[in-house]
Amino acid sequence: MKWITRERPKIDRIACPWLIKNFVDKEATFIYVPKEQVFEKAKELQAIPYDIPGAEYSHVGDLCTFDYILNKHKLQDPTLLQLATIIRGADTNCMDLAPQCAGLWAISAGLSYLYHDDQEQLIAGMKIYDALYAWAKHVQNEKHTWNPHL
Amino acid sequence: MKWITRERPKIDRIACPWLIRRFIDKEAKFIYVPFDEVKKQAELLGAIPFDIPEVEFTHYEDYCTFDYFVKKYKIDDPAIETLTIIVRGADTDRHNLAQQSAGLWAISAGLAHNITNDHELLEQGMIIYDALYSWACHLQNESHTQNPFEKLLMQTLGDYLKTSQKRTPKWAKELKNIIQDQIDTQLSLSLKDISKDLNVNPSYLSREFSKYFDDLSFGDYIRKLRIEKAIQLLQSPVYSLTEVAYLTGFSDQSHFTRIFKKHTGQNPSEFRKNLSKK
Repeated sequence: MKWITRERPKIDRIACPWLIKNFVDKEATFIYVPKEQVFEKAKELQAIPYDIPGAEYSHVGDLCTFDYILNKHKLQDPTLLQLATIIRGADTNCMDLAPQCAGLWAISAGLSYLYHDDQEQLIAGMKIYDALYAWAKHVQNEKHTWNPHL
Repeated sequence: MKWITRERPKIDRIACPWLIRRFIDKEAKFIYVPFDEVKKQAELLGAIPFDIPEVEFTHYEDYCTFDYFVKKYKIDDPAIETLTIIVRGADTDRHNLAQQSAGLWAISAGLAHNITNDHELLEQGMIIYDALYSWACHLQNESHTQNPFEKLLMQTLGDYLKTSQKRTPKWAKELKNIIQDQIDTQLSLSLKDISKDLNVNPSYLSREFSKYFDDLSFGDYIRKLRIEKAIQLLQSPVYSLTEVAYLTGFSDQSHFTRIFKKHTGQNPSEFRKNLSKK
């Protein structure tokens, strides 16, 4: 399935493709276009519009599009639920939702500044969410202290 | 120059190579070996050991190796200063040092879990630090908000906070216009939210605000404009008093009446009656 959204992604428009590709549809492809073309191009290309007001897959109340996809596709992996909180905080500027929000935001905003091609940014961003997921699932209780007597 | 350290890097052993390549030596090479081989291999390969105990480039007290590089090479860049604190917090498990430390740690620990080849991990890490650096240089004061008005307001205030002017600064004039423009549609401007987004102390912002807004606090200023708006609406017979209260952002009419009287000395109904007499 094709998915389409506004260009110049930061958080939700990278995190949702990562979620879709890994947990909803392995074959999904993602299209970024100027904001005012999203619905028109969606029809033309038969793509699902997301993360834009007026689309089914969008923010609802305080929840972001990532949350909507989790609910809609009944994804209940606790690791994903933890990620959702971090992503929601970073995406909606509620940095106190989780300690990791501000760092995710800084790195994501910086990536968007570094990359001018949205598809390249998506590839780099996917690795960030792979990493966050691995941290949450496998190493989140690990502490990093520098022990001089290693 | 060649640099050598312990294998399986997480924070310092990725951040330092990034710093070296970007600020000290573009051609630098990095070698990761098991802990107990670092010193031996350093001699053998003519590489400088770092981030292990008992070498020059290492932790000192609460400071990590990244701090030492910045100091040693006198890297004088405000964005690097910001990064240093974030890196130190993530590297020494003191995530309260900077708001971004916990996220940097989570992403770095996850990358190390996913990528077992240290050189690939370094390349991936370079992207993370390039991104963090770009953020620190250009985007630190930008928050992610979908409300364009709020964005404009914050940009104006942010611009001001970066400079410190003595006379009535341009931002105050601009802000006045913005608030005036928005008072018709948006009455829930909160200084607390704005200061939170700006990452400044609300009391600082409110103190600065009143200097340029007739000695009024942010709240009083907004209230004054709402009353002025009410006066304007009362002059038109189209709106009932309840509607005027609603349109000026008062949720109940008795509150509206009280505030209105405090400002004008009259009840809204008296005010309207006096108008029609004229």
